[in-house]
Amino acid sequence: MNNSQLFNYTHGSSTSTDDGSQVEAIKIYGLSNYYFYSKPAPPLKNQTLEERISCLKTRYDVCGIRTCVEAVILVELSKTPQLLLLQLRNSTYKLPGGRLRPGESDIEGLKRKLTNKLSVHSDGILPDWEVGECLGRWWRVGFETLLLPYLPPNVRSPKECRKIFLVKLPERQKFTVPKTHKLLAVPLSQLHENHEIYGPVISGVPQLLSKFPIETASR
Amino acid sequence: MVMSPAVNTYPLSSYTFGSKEAKIEKDTSVADRLARMKTNYVKEGMRTSVEGILLVQEHNHPHILLLQIGNTFCKLPGGRLKPGENEIEGLKRKLSSKLAANSSNLQPNWQIGECVATWWRPNFETIMYPYCPPHISKPKECKRLYLIHLSEKEYFAVPKNLKLLAVPLFELYDNVQRYGPVISTIPQQLSRFQFNMINNETNDK
Repeated sequence: MNNSQLFNYTHGSSTSTDDGSQVEAIKIYGLSNYYFYSKPAPPLKNQTLEERISCLKTRYDVCGIRTCVEAVILVELSKTPQLLLLQLRNSTYKLPGGRLRPGESDIEGLKRKLTNKLSVHSDGILPDWEVGECLGRWWRVGFETLLLPYLPPNVRSPKECRKIFLVKLPERQKFTVPKTHKLLAVPLSQLHENHEIYGPVISGVPQLLSKFPIETASR
Repeated sequence: MVMSPAVNTYPLSSYTFGSKEAKIEKDTSVADRLARMKTNYVKEGMRTSVEGILLVQEHNHPHILLLQIGNTFCKLPGGRLKPGENEIEGLKRKLSSKLAANSSNLQPNWQIGECVATWWRPNFETIMYPYCPPHISKPKECKRLYLIHLSEKEYFAVPKNLKLLAVPLFELYDNVQRYGPVISTIPQQLSRFQFNMINNETNDK
Protein backbone atom coordinates (compact mmCIF):
# COMPACT_ATOMS: atom_id res chain seq x y z
CA MET A 1 0.00 0.00 0.00
CA ASN A 2 1.24 3.45 -0.89
CA ASN A 3 1.57 5.53 2.29
CA SER A 4 1.74 8.83 0.48
CA GLN A 5 -1.77 8.69 -0.96
CA LEU A 6 -3.33 8.94 2.49
CA PHE A 7 -0.62 11.04 4.06
CA ASN A 8 -2.21 14.27 3.07
CA TYR A 9 -0.05 16.61 5.06
CA THR A 10 2.35 17.67 2.36
CA HIS A 11 1.02 15.78 -0.63
CA GLY A 12 -2.15 17.81 -0.78
CA SER A 13 -4.69 15.15 -1.67
CA SER A 14 -8.26 15.93 -0.75
CA THR A 15 -10.80 13.53 0.70
CA SER A 16 -14.38 12.78 -0.27
CA THR A 17 -17.47 12.66 1.86
CA ASP A 18 -20.50 10.53 1.12
CA ASP A 19 -22.15 13.12 -1.09
CA GLY A 20 -18.99 13.36 -3.18
CA SER A 21 -17.97 16.78 -1.88
CA GLN A 22 -14.27 17.29 -1.35
CA VAL A 23 -12.63 18.81 1.71
CA GLU A 24 -10.71 21.56 0.01
CA ALA A 25 -7.05 21.80 0.93
CA ILE A 26 -5.84 25.00 2.59
CA LYS A 27 -3.02 26.48 0.50
CA ILE A 28 -0.42 28.26 2.55
CA TYR A 29 2.50 30.40 1.46
CA GLY A 30 5.83 31.11 3.08
CA LEU A 31 6.00 33.83 5.71
CA SER A 32 8.63 35.57 3.57
CA ASN A 33 5.92 36.25 0.93
CA TYR A 34 4.38 38.79 3.28
CA TYR A 35 5.54 42.25 4.27
CA PHE A 36 4.89 43.71 7.70
CA TYR A 37 4.79 47.38 8.51
CA SER A 38 3.89 49.17 11.68
CA LYS A 39 1.16 51.79 12.06
CA PRO A 40 0.21 54.14 14.86
CA ALA A 41 -2.49 52.82 17.13
CA PRO A 42 -5.16 54.34 19.34
CA PRO A 43 -4.55 53.72 23.06
CA LEU A 44 -5.68 50.32 24.28
CA LYS A 45 -8.96 50.14 26.18
CA ASN A 46 -10.21 47.65 28.76
CA GLN A 47 -6.90 46.25 29.78
CA THR A 48 -7.87 44.73 33.12
CA LEU A 49 -10.26 41.84 33.62
CA GLU A 50 -12.53 44.08 35.73
CA GLU A 51 -12.73 46.68 32.97
CA ARG A 52 -13.57 44.03 30.38
CA ILE A 53 -16.31 42.46 32.49
CA SER A 54 -17.77 45.87 33.25
CA CYS A 55 -17.78 46.78 29.54
CA LEU A 56 -19.45 43.45 28.64
CA LYS A 57 -22.19 44.12 31.23
CA THR A 58 -22.87 47.67 30.06
CA ARG A 59 -23.07 46.71 26.42
CA TYR A 60 -25.20 43.64 27.17
CA ASP A 61 -27.85 45.89 28.75
CA VAL A 62 -27.96 47.96 25.58
CA CYS A 63 -27.35 45.46 22.76
CA GLY A 64 -27.89 41.96 24.14
CA ILE A 65 -25.51 39.11 23.41
CA ARG A 66 -22.04 40.12 22.19
CA THR A 67 -20.88 38.35 19.04
CA CYS A 68 -17.16 38.27 18.33
CA VAL A 69 -15.58 37.00 15.14
CA GLU A 70 -11.96 35.85 14.92
CA ALA A 71 -9.70 34.70 12.11
CA VAL A 72 -7.44 31.68 11.77
CA ILE A 73 -4.76 32.71 9.28
CA LEU A 74 -1.99 30.29 8.32
CA VAL A 75 1.44 30.77 6.79
CA GLU A 76 4.31 28.37 6.21
CA LEU A 77 7.66 28.64 7.96
CA SER A 78 10.30 25.92 8.32
CA LYS A 79 8.05 23.61 6.28
CA THR A 80 5.32 23.67 8.96
CA PRO A 81 1.98 25.50 9.07
CA GLN A 82 2.00 28.38 11.54
CA LEU A 83 -0.87 30.45 12.95
CA LEU A 84 -0.73 34.27 12.95
CA LEU A 85 -1.36 35.64 16.43
CA LEU A 86 -1.38 39.16 17.82
CA GLN A 87 0.35 39.66 21.13
CA LEU A 88 -0.30 42.56 23.47
CA ARG A 89 2.40 43.93 25.73
CA ASN A 90 4.30 40.63 25.85
CA SER A 91 1.46 38.70 27.42
CA THR A 92 -2.05 38.12 26.04
CA TYR A 93 -2.32 36.32 22.71
CA LYS A 94 -5.29 36.97 20.47
CA LEU A 95 -6.58 35.86 17.11
CA PRO A 96 -7.17 38.86 14.84
CA GLY A 97 -10.81 39.89 15.05
CA GLY A 98 -13.21 41.52 17.48
CA ARG A 99 -16.74 42.49 18.36
CA LEU A 100 -19.52 42.87 15.78
CA ARG A 101 -21.60 46.02 15.67
CA PRO A 102 -25.35 45.56 16.16
CA GLY A 103 -26.89 44.29 12.91
CA GLU A 104 -23.53 43.64 11.24
CA SER A 105 -23.04 40.26 9.51
CA ASP A 106 -20.27 37.88 10.61
CA ILE A 107 -18.33 38.19 7.34
CA GLU A 108 -18.62 41.99 7.06
CA GLY A 109 -17.58 42.39 10.66
CA LEU A 110 -14.61 40.08 10.33
CA LYS A 111 -13.36 41.87 7.21
CA ARG A 112 -13.74 45.20 9.01
CA LYS A 113 -11.80 43.95 12.03
CA LEU A 114 -9.05 42.39 9.93
CA THR A 115 -8.62 45.62 8.02
CA ASN A 116 -8.42 47.59 11.30
CA LYS A 117 -5.98 45.22 12.93
CA LEU A 118 -3.83 44.09 10.03
CA SER A 119 -4.13 46.46 7.15
CA VAL A 120 -4.23 50.04 5.99
CA HIS A 121 -6.69 51.88 3.80
CA SER A 122 -4.58 53.15 0.95
CA ASP A 123 -6.30 55.13 -1.81
CA GLY A 124 -9.63 53.97 -0.42
CA ILE A 125 -8.98 50.44 -1.65
CA LEU A 126 -9.86 47.91 1.01
CA PRO A 127 -7.98 44.61 0.97
CA ASP A 128 -10.19 41.74 -0.09
CA TRP A 129 -10.08 39.21 2.71
CA GLU A 130 -11.10 35.69 1.71
CA VAL A 131 -13.22 34.43 4.61
CA GLY A 132 -13.72 30.65 4.55
CA GLU A 133 -15.88 28.44 6.74
CA CYS A 134 -16.65 28.77 10.41
CA LEU A 135 -14.36 26.35 12.24
CA GLY A 136 -15.91 26.53 15.69
CA ARG A 137 -17.89 28.55 18.22
CA TRP A 138 -17.49 29.35 21.90
CA TRP A 139 -20.09 30.66 24.32
CA ARG A 140 -19.80 32.64 27.54
CA VAL A 141 -22.69 31.84 29.86
CA GLY A 142 -22.15 34.50 32.55
CA PHE A 143 -20.27 37.80 32.54
CA GLU A 144 -17.38 36.32 34.47
CA THR A 145 -17.42 32.72 33.35
CA LEU A 146 -15.12 30.82 31.03
CA LEU A 147 -15.83 30.18 27.36
CA LEU A 148 -17.35 26.79 26.48
CA PRO A 149 -17.61 25.09 23.04
CA TYR A 150 -21.32 24.35 23.53
CA LEU A 151 -24.34 26.02 25.07
CA PRO A 152 -25.00 24.23 28.38
CA PRO A 153 -28.54 22.86 28.86
CA ASN A 154 -31.13 25.33 30.17
CA VAL A 155 -29.06 28.42 29.37
CA ARG A 156 -31.39 30.95 27.78
CA SER A 157 -29.26 34.07 27.64
CA PRO A 158 -25.57 33.59 26.99
CA LYS A 159 -23.58 36.82 27.24
CA GLU A 160 -21.15 36.24 24.39
CA CYS A 161 -20.75 34.06 21.33
CA ARG A 162 -17.36 33.88 19.65
CA LYS A 163 -17.04 32.45 16.12
CA ILE A 164 -13.74 31.33 14.66
CA PHE A 165 -13.38 31.55 10.85
CA LEU A 166 -10.75 30.26 8.47
CA VAL A 167 -9.28 33.15 6.45
CA LYS A 168 -7.19 32.34 3.38
CA LEU A 169 -4.33 34.57 2.37
CA PRO A 170 -3.35 35.34 -1.21
CA GLU A 171 0.18 34.51 -2.25
CA ARG A 172 1.45 37.96 -1.31
CA GLN A 173 0.11 40.61 0.99
CA LYS A 174 1.23 43.63 2.99
CA PHE A 175 0.22 43.81 6.61
CA THR A 176 0.34 46.83 8.86
CA VAL A 177 0.22 46.05 12.53
CA PRO A 178 -0.69 48.62 15.21
CA LYS A 179 2.32 49.65 17.30
CA THR A 180 0.59 48.35 20.42
CA HIS A 181 0.68 44.77 19.12
CA LYS A 182 3.23 42.27 17.92
CA LEU A 183 2.29 39.87 15.11
CA LEU A 184 3.71 36.37 15.58
CA ALA A 185 3.67 33.12 13.63
CA VAL A 186 3.34 30.11 15.96
CA PRO A 187 3.60 26.45 14.81
CA LEU A 188 0.50 24.29 15.35
CA SER A 189 2.59 21.87 17.39
CA GLN A 190 3.33 24.64 19.89
CA LEU A 191 -0.34 25.55 20.29
CA HIS A 192 -1.72 22.03 20.71
CA GLU A 193 -2.86 21.39 24.29
CA ASN A 194 -1.02 24.50 25.47
CA HIS A 195 -3.98 26.01 27.37
CA GLU A 196 -1.82 27.74 29.94
CA ILE A 197 -0.08 30.04 27.50
CA TYR A 198 -2.67 30.43 24.75
CA GLY A 199 -6.05 29.69 26.38
CA PRO A 200 -8.58 27.07 25.24
CA VAL A 201 -9.66 28.84 22.04
CA ILE A 202 -6.20 29.29 20.46
CA SER A 203 -4.77 25.99 21.80
CA GLY A 204 -7.77 24.22 20.23
CA VAL A 205 -7.15 25.61 16.72
CA PRO A 206 -5.00 22.65 15.53
CA GLN A 207 -7.91 20.26 16.16
CA LEU A 208 -10.36 22.51 14.30
CA LEU A 209 -7.96 22.50 11.33
CA SER A 210 -7.25 18.76 11.47
CA LYS A 211 -9.83 17.75 8.86
CA PHE A 212 -8.20 19.92 6.17
CA PRO A 213 -5.25 18.81 4.08
CA ILE A 214 -2.76 21.68 4.17
CA GLU A 215 -0.79 22.30 0.99
CA THR A 216 2.44 24.24 1.08
CA ALA A 217 2.96 26.14 -2.14
CA SER A 218 6.34 25.08 -3.46
CA ARG A 219 8.71 27.73 -4.79
CA MET B 1 -25.37 35.94 9.23
CA VAL B 2 -23.45 32.85 8.19
CA MET B 3 -25.72 29.82 8.59
CA SER B 4 -24.16 26.97 10.54
CA PRO B 5 -24.56 23.50 9.05
CA ALA B 6 -27.44 21.74 10.77
CA VAL B 7 -27.67 18.33 12.42
CA ASN B 8 -31.02 16.87 13.44
CA THR B 9 -30.83 15.13 16.78
CA TYR B 10 -33.63 12.94 18.09
CA PRO B 11 -34.31 11.79 21.64
CA LEU B 12 -32.58 8.68 22.90
CA SER B 13 -36.06 7.20 23.40
CA SER B 14 -36.77 7.19 19.68
CA TYR B 15 -34.15 4.45 19.20
CA THR B 16 -34.47 0.76 20.04
CA PHE B 17 -31.55 -1.19 21.45
CA GLY B 18 -31.18 -4.95 21.28
CA SER B 19 -28.20 -7.15 21.81
CA LYS B 20 -26.18 -9.56 19.71
CA GLU B 21 -23.30 -11.96 20.21
CA ALA B 22 -20.18 -10.59 21.89
CA LYS B 23 -17.45 -8.98 19.81
CA ILE B 24 -14.30 -10.10 21.53
CA GLU B 25 -11.49 -7.54 21.38
CA LYS B 26 -8.51 -8.88 19.44
CA ASP B 27 -6.03 -7.41 21.92
CA THR B 28 -6.16 -7.83 25.68
CA SER B 29 -3.70 -5.06 26.53
CA VAL B 30 -2.34 -1.81 25.13
CA ALA B 31 1.02 -3.55 24.55
CA ASP B 32 -0.69 -6.32 22.53
CA ARG B 33 -2.53 -3.74 20.49
CA LEU B 34 0.63 -1.82 19.61
CA ALA B 35 2.45 -5.07 18.77
CA ARG B 36 -0.34 -6.11 16.40
CA MET B 37 -0.27 -2.63 14.85
CA LYS B 38 3.45 -3.09 14.15
CA THR B 39 2.90 -6.46 12.46
CA ASN B 40 0.14 -5.03 10.29
CA TYR B 41 2.28 -2.00 9.43
CA VAL B 42 5.01 -4.23 8.04
CA LYS B 43 2.47 -6.05 5.85
CA GLU B 44 0.14 -3.22 4.84
CA GLY B 45 1.70 0.15 5.61
CA MET B 46 0.02 2.97 7.55
CA ARG B 47 -3.25 2.02 9.26
CA THR B 48 -6.26 4.18 8.42
CA SER B 49 -9.09 3.97 10.91
CA VAL B 50 -12.49 5.60 10.69
CA GLU B 51 -14.86 6.34 13.57
CA GLY B 52 -18.41 7.64 13.72
CA ILE B 53 -19.91 10.35 15.92
CA LEU B 54 -23.57 9.41 16.45
CA LEU B 55 -25.65 12.04 18.22
CA VAL B 56 -28.88 11.90 20.17
CA GLN B 57 -30.45 14.50 22.42
CA GLU B 58 -31.65 14.41 25.98
CA HIS B 59 -33.03 17.50 27.73
CA ASN B 60 -32.18 19.45 24.57
CA HIS B 61 -28.44 18.83 24.91
CA PRO B 62 -26.47 16.75 22.39
CA HIS B 63 -25.16 13.38 23.57
CA ILE B 64 -22.62 11.15 21.79
CA LEU B 65 -23.01 7.37 21.62
CA LEU B 66 -19.94 5.60 23.00
CA LEU B 67 -19.18 1.89 23.38
CA GLN B 68 -17.81 0.95 26.78
CA ILE B 69 -15.58 -2.09 27.22
CA GLY B 70 -15.27 -3.41 30.75
CA ASN B 71 -15.72 -0.78 33.43
CA THR B 72 -13.99 2.24 32.02
CA PHE B 73 -12.57 2.24 28.52
CA CYS B 74 -14.83 4.08 26.05
CA LYS B 75 -14.50 4.20 22.31
CA LEU B 76 -16.36 5.53 19.29
CA PRO B 77 -17.88 2.93 16.95
CA GLY B 78 -15.51 2.32 14.05
CA GLY B 79 -12.25 0.59 13.28
CA ARG B 80 -9.49 -0.19 10.84
CA LEU B 81 -9.97 -0.03 7.08
CA LYS B 82 -8.91 -2.93 4.89
CA PRO B 83 -6.03 -2.09 2.55
CA GLY B 84 -7.36 0.06 -0.32
CA GLU B 85 -10.87 0.28 1.17
CA ASN B 86 -12.81 3.55 0.66
CA GLU B 87 -13.26 5.49 3.94
CA ILE B 88 -17.05 5.89 3.62
CA GLU B 89 -17.67 2.24 2.70
CA GLY B 90 -15.33 1.11 5.46
CA LEU B 91 -17.08 3.26 8.05
CA LYS B 92 -20.50 1.87 7.07
CA ARG B 93 -19.07 -1.63 7.34
CA LYS B 94 -17.65 -0.93 10.81
CA LEU B 95 -20.81 0.77 12.08
CA SER B 96 -22.89 -2.20 11.00
CA SER B 97 -20.42 -4.59 12.53
CA LYS B 98 -20.54 -2.83 15.90
CA LEU B 99 -24.15 -1.60 16.02
CA ALA B 100 -26.41 -3.32 13.51
CA ALA B 101 -28.37 -6.55 13.84
CA ASN B 102 -26.95 -9.44 11.89
CA SER B 103 -30.00 -10.01 9.72
CA SER B 104 -29.77 -8.07 6.49
CA ASN B 105 -33.30 -6.61 6.54
CA LEU B 106 -32.52 -4.64 9.71
CA GLN B 107 -29.44 -2.83 8.40
CA PRO B 108 -29.56 0.91 9.13
CA ASN B 109 -29.05 3.14 6.13
CA TRP B 110 -25.97 4.91 7.49
CA GLN B 111 -25.82 8.59 6.43
CA ILE B 112 -22.17 9.54 6.68
CA GLY B 113 -21.69 13.28 7.10
CA GLU B 114 -18.52 15.30 7.06
CA CYS B 115 -15.14 14.50 8.51
CA VAL B 116 -14.75 16.63 11.64
CA ALA B 117 -11.24 15.69 12.75
CA THR B 118 -8.10 13.78 11.76
CA TRP B 119 -5.61 12.37 14.29
CA TRP B 120 -2.12 11.05 13.49
CA ARG B 121 -0.06 8.45 15.33
CA PRO B 122 3.65 9.12 14.64
CA ASN B 123 5.08 6.01 16.38
CA PHE B 124 3.93 2.68 17.78
CA GLU B 125 2.83 4.42 20.95
CA THR B 126 -0.49 5.55 22.30
CA ILE B 127 0.02 9.28 21.67
CA MET B 128 -1.79 10.92 18.75
CA TYR B 129 -1.83 14.49 17.37
CA PRO B 130 -4.35 16.48 15.28
CA TYR B 131 -1.61 17.13 12.70
CA CYS B 132 1.27 15.08 11.39
CA PRO B 133 4.21 16.25 13.56
CA PRO B 134 7.05 17.94 11.68
CA HIS B 135 9.87 15.57 10.71
CA ILE B 136 7.54 12.52 10.73
CA SER B 137 7.49 11.15 7.21
CA LYS B 138 6.05 7.72 8.06
CA PRO B 139 3.12 8.03 10.46
CA LYS B 140 1.83 4.68 11.71
CA GLU B 141 -1.86 5.50 11.82
CA CYS B 142 -4.30 8.10 10.55
CA LYS B 143 -7.68 8.21 12.31
CA ARG B 144 -10.61 10.13 10.83
CA LEU B 145 -13.73 11.05 12.75
CA TYR B 146 -16.97 11.44 10.80
CA LEU B 147 -20.29 12.92 11.83
CA ILE B 148 -23.16 10.44 11.27
CA HIS B 149 -26.68 11.72 10.59
CA LEU B 150 -29.12 9.36 12.30
CA SER B 151 -32.71 9.17 11.15
CA GLU B 152 -35.60 9.44 13.56
CA LYS B 153 -35.87 5.74 14.34
CA GLU B 154 -33.17 3.14 14.28
CA TYR B 155 -32.67 -0.33 15.73
CA PHE B 156 -29.21 -0.89 17.19
CA ALA B 157 -27.92 -4.32 18.24
CA VAL B 158 -25.06 -3.94 20.69
CA PRO B 159 -22.58 -6.80 21.24
CA LYS B 160 -23.25 -8.47 24.60
CA ASN B 161 -19.83 -7.64 26.01
CA LEU B 162 -20.14 -3.91 25.30
CA LYS B 163 -22.33 -1.22 26.81
CA LEU B 164 -23.67 1.61 24.68
CA LEU B 165 -23.67 4.93 26.53
CA ALA B 166 -25.09 8.33 25.57
CA VAL B 167 -22.71 10.92 27.03
CA PRO B 168 -23.55 14.66 27.04
CA LEU B 169 -21.11 17.10 25.45
CA PHE B 170 -20.65 18.93 28.77
CA GLU B 171 -19.41 15.69 30.35
CA LEU B 172 -16.86 15.10 27.58
CA TYR B 173 -15.43 18.62 27.36
CA ASP B 174 -12.00 18.88 28.97
CA ASN B 175 -12.38 15.40 30.50
CA VAL B 176 -9.16 13.91 29.12
CA GLN B 177 -8.67 11.67 32.16
CA ARG B 178 -11.85 9.74 31.56
CA TYR B 179 -12.24 9.85 27.76
CA GLY B 180 -8.78 10.53 26.29
CA PRO B 181 -7.71 13.41 24.02
CA VAL B 182 -9.66 12.32 20.91
CA ILE B 183 -13.13 11.94 22.48
CA SER B 184 -12.82 14.77 25.05
CA THR B 185 -12.19 17.30 22.27
CA ILE B 186 -15.21 16.34 20.15
CA PRO B 187 -17.34 19.18 21.64
CA GLN B 188 -15.01 21.78 20.08
CA GLN B 189 -15.11 20.01 16.71
CA LEU B 190 -18.92 19.97 16.78
CA SER B 191 -19.28 23.56 18.01
CA ARG B 192 -19.79 24.93 14.48
CA PHE B 193 -22.95 22.84 13.95
CA GLN B 194 -26.46 23.96 14.72
CA PHE B 195 -28.23 21.13 16.53
CA ASN B 196 -31.95 20.87 15.78
CA MET B 197 -33.29 19.18 18.91
CA ILE B 198 -36.32 17.28 17.71
CA ASN B 199 -38.70 16.02 20.35
CA ASN B 200 -41.24 13.21 20.17
CA GLU B 201 -44.84 14.36 19.67
CA THR B 202 -45.70 13.21 23.17
CA ASN B 203 -43.06 15.45 24.82
CA ASP B 204 -43.44 19.16 25.41
CA LYS B 205 -41.37 21.17 22.96
